[in-house]
Amino acid sequence: MSQAISKKSRTPVYKQQDLQTQELREKGLLFCIGIVIPLFILIFWEVTTRQGWVDELFLPSLSGIVTEFLAMATKGYAGTPLITHVLGSLRRVFIAFSIGTVVGLSLGLLMGYYKYVRAAFYVVTELLRPIPPLAFITLFILWFGIGEVSKVLIILYAGALIVMLNTIEGVRSCPQNKILAARTLGANDLAIFLYVIFPAALPSIFTGMRVALSVDFGILVASELLAGDIGIGYIIQDASVFFNVEALFVGILMIGFFGVVSDFCLAFISRRIVHWQG
Amino acid sequence: MTQLPSKSSTISPSLDRHSPHLTEDEVICLDQVAFGYSRKRLVLQDFGLSIRRGEFLTLLGPSGCGKSTILNLIAGFHKPLSGRVTHSGQVVKGPSARRGVVFQGNALFDWMTVEQNIAFGFRFKSLPKYEQQQQVKTIIELVGLRGSERKYPYQLSGGMRQRVAVARSMVVQPEILLMDEPFAAVDVQTREGLQEELLKLHEQVAGAILFVTHSVEEAVFLSDRIVILDRDLGGIYHEISIQLPEPRYASMNRVSEAFNHYRTELYLKMKAIS
Ligand SMILES: Nc1ncnc2c1ncn2[C@@H]1O[C@H](COP(=O)(O)OP(=O)(O)OP(=O)(O)O)[C@@H](O)[C@H]1O
Ligand SMILES: [Mg+2]
Repeated sequence: MSQAISKKSRTPVYKQQDLQTQELREKGLLFCIGIVIPLFILIFWEVTTRQGWVDELFLPSLSGIVTEFLAMATKGYAGTPLITHVLGSLRRVFIAFSIGTVVGLSLGLLMGYYKYVRAAFYVVTELLRPIPPLAFITLFILWFGIGEVSKVLIILYAGALIVMLNTIEGVRSCPQNKILAARTLGANDLAIFLYVIFPAALPSIFTGMRVALSVDFGILVASELLAGDIGIGYIIQDASVFFNVEALFVGILMIGFFGVVSDFCLAFISRRIVHWQG
Repeated sequence: MTQLPSKSSTISPSLDRHSPHLTEDEVICLDQVAFGYSRKRLVLQDFGLSIRRGEFLTLLGPSGCGKSTILNLIAGFHKPLSGRVTHSGQVVKGPSARRGVVFQGNALFDWMTVEQNIAFGFRFKSLPKYEQQQQVKTIIELVGLRGSERKYPYQLSGGMRQRVAVARSMVVQPEILLMDEPFAAVDVQTREGLQEELLKLHEQVAGAILFVTHSVEEAVFLSDRIVILDRDLGGIYHEISIQLPEPRYASMNRVSEAFNHYRTELYLKMKAIS
């Protein structure tokens, strides 16, 4: 194999091999760093708490958290099975994110494409844009009650706004010469929208969706902190009231875990659909 | 693809450029056109140009003299302030598939394969599927993109991308193809290859080509006729017909006596206005 290469090309064999192995080695090294450093942090964490260098009231030991998690998984938390808490939270995010994406996408496409629609909503979006969605949370509770609806709506609103702004950006950033090229090839407005403007906006749309999803998790916890008796946010809130630091950490880590996993899935889908960016 | 039998015979003595009457022979006519991006400063004034069916016409001229503007007016991207731009006697009102454009920058659809990019114009034409595929295949062969049909633009070199752009505009057989410095961004070898392929395509497809370049050599090698524009208000400074031995795409044409003669003449004219 290596002989064949050396016969064909004038570049020495070792150079070609080097490039491949170098790349592999670098990838391996980066992977190791990525794994080893967090592991060190975890070990350091465990050691400091085991040795009693920090007060367990402020920072529970790692093993304590794991034990607490196992206990919660078998016995539930506050009389409700852990899975119900988790599914309750995930359901809220899922519903709000899905509807929010559809709403934000539709509004964004309309506003990006039709300058009259954009003009009509311009002042409103510019006003809403800088206001943190959490500022509305009590207002939403006042309007829609303390139950499920206000939680889902506040998450939906936060996500939809982000998706919308990114969609507008994506539509508007479509290069003019691609649109003109399509027109000189005979495309009408609808075809230009479907085959040129929408695909050109997709990268930006997916960026918006990923940002929206992570924001949605934040709003979820905040809304569950305020009201309700089910959800990961509720666990965090309830645990801090009773100084159950282990349970508190279980709640925090679960939010982190589901946030990472869902973003990973979305990034995967995004790479599949927006595959042309190399 | 249809062969135009009488392409070379269209190189006839210069027509009256300002003639408002439609000649059988002409595809595009600019008549007393005035245009400016602002009311204060005109780019073109009382400008006339006629392009004959099937001819390869090149615009040369100093930077900023209005070459791109002329192309945009013909494409229908801009409207003249006064005068008219006509295509086979009809006033140009906006972009149309009858007038193809090859853009200088990358105007390919990044989300489509080479094949899909080239076949894009067929979506809006009623041509049997089989025939479409056949024509796409033929043109891919002609521009040397075989084997790259399923690739996406980001996987192509600059030269290959420009080949796709040319093929995409050419395959739907516009009556005129407008090309604004299409090969400016590729290296010399690639450019020469592209020029030869363009001439081969031009032989196969019946339409006229209006080409803009800064390179005198490129103009001489490609054109049936060259128009040098003046510095101000797009007046026509000089016009010249090029006659080189057939086949036009032969590389030897670049070193022929006649080629040198034309190049020297154009070079001196260009020097005179700058
Ligand atoms: N979009 C625009 N807005 C305002 N002025 C413009 C615009 N495009 C071109 N111009 C002006 O119009 C004149 C003609 O420009 P044009 O692009 O047609 O020149 P050109 O001959 O194509 O030049 P080059 O060889 O550099 O491409 C220039 O003076 C330029 O500054
Ligand atoms: Mg120009």
